[in-house]
Amino acid sequence: MNIQALLSQFGEKYLLALLTTYKLTASAFILALILGTVITIMRVSPVKPLRVVADFYVQIFRNIPGSALLIILVYALPYLNVILSYYAAVLIATTLIPAAFCSEYLMSGMNTIGTGQIEAARSLGMTFLQSIKNVVIPQAVRSSVLPMTNLLVATMLTSALASQVPLNPTDLTGIVSYINTHAVGGVTAFLISAILYCGTAVIIGQVGNQIDRKVRILR
Amino acid sequence: MAQEQNKTERSEQTPVIELRHVDKHYGSLHVLKDVNLSVQKGEVVVIIGPSGSGKSTLCRTINRMETIDAGEILIDGEHLPEEGKKLAQLRSEVGMVFQSFNLFAHKTILDNVTIGPREVLHTPKKEAQEEALRLLKRVGVDTQAHKVPAQLSGGQQQRVAIARTLAMHPKAILFDEPTSALDPEMIGEVLDVITELAKEGMTMVIVTHEMNFARRVADRIIFVDHGVILEENTPEAFFTQPKTQRARDFLNTLKGRDK
Repeated sequence: MNIQALLSQFGEKYLLALLTTYKLTASAFILALILGTVITIMRVSPVKPLRVVADFYVQIFRNIPGSALLIILVYALPYLNVILSYYAAVLIATTLIPAAFCSEYLMSGMNTIGTGQIEAARSLGMTFLQSIKNVVIPQAVRSSVLPMTNLLVATMLTSALASQVPLNPTDLTGIVSYINTHAVGGVTAFLISAILYCGTAVIIGQVGNQIDRKVRILR
Repeated sequence: MAQEQNKTERSEQTPVIELRHVDKHYGSLHVLKDVNLSVQKGEVVVIIGPSGSGKSTLCRTINRMETIDAGEILIDGEHLPEEGKKLAQLRSEVGMVFQSFNLFAHKTILDNVTIGPREVLHTPKKEAQEEALRLLKRVGVDTQAHKVPAQLSGGQQQRVAIARTLAMHPKAILFDEPTSALDPEMIGEVLDVITELAKEGMTMVIVTHEMNFARRVADRIIFVDHGVILEENTPEAFFTQPKTQRARDFLNTLKGRDK
């Protein structure tokens, strides 16, 4: 089948698949940013057990393959009487891994802040959390816009894990298997998905550059 | 006579800052050795000494930017607490001005000055901004209020840092080599602001290499070398007739440098 035939027969399904991918990506990215920020604050906190736990988290989830994590969530957790929906399992896998990378990017963003500024915050009477909130995190975020842009793209690509479980509607990668079991889409079916992934990534990159230019800190 | 009486009364008051038998080591380096110092309200104490003598460390222990190994530090008669909410509260009452200004790079000049009162003292935004503008005007950088630190000269940044500290209404201000990172032509403008504060009766501890300034502004000079307070003296006496040989040598090296 050529592209035109595929689009006329499966156009609506592609659209739904694209929306599923977007929905997964957006929710996972937001959750990953929140979790990654919390992990990062734990990693720099004065409380040692928090640092140890958070460092351990990053080591685990930065290094685990997405599909392995998904298998654990879907097949191993039921033994602990935790039964997740397929969507939830994919969302969690797509959150936990990017959260580890998010924390790494924030840590390197923090390293651009001089200890002097943190001392200044403390000398004004700010508590640890106040100096994190007012001085450290805002600057770490501003100087990590570009890596975060990459993280959003990576999160989108990780969301392709959704193709490994039955979902309806399925995602952009899942749709390819769907088409190839119902018709002969061949590599063209995949090409359409690939174009949609790439197009989205290009847009994300452009927007990321714009944001970076706006919030970059003069030094 | 009345003046004399006044003086005794003052010395009987609880000192704003008091260090008793303070010791500190960096590994095997003994940076502060049995340091005793008390600073009365309204007093300007200038700490001088060669590089590496421990004078900056001494200044930084006062608000616990550096911890000490032994001894006691009291602010207004109260012991410095451990790291935590109480220490934060105490730090808000003792201002600090750093060698490298340390303004918050992502905030405007105005926000740099308002953030302390807003976050720590919970001052309403409008009030904090009005006071910030007043303080910025006082240090002569009010026209730069909406720029970010990187757009200002070093001298301007340091004056903003002083305004940021003043916004907290501190009992005392610690200056840790406030002009050492400045180009020579900008040192004067910062020292003028500090001199002004001294005239207004602000309690200050100043670490500096600017001897003329020290002589002009100090009520008392503390000479530190190898972590020991070797001499405490009035500025006149210290600069004309230092008691210790080491202070004489130190002053002579400086004279040599100026020629």
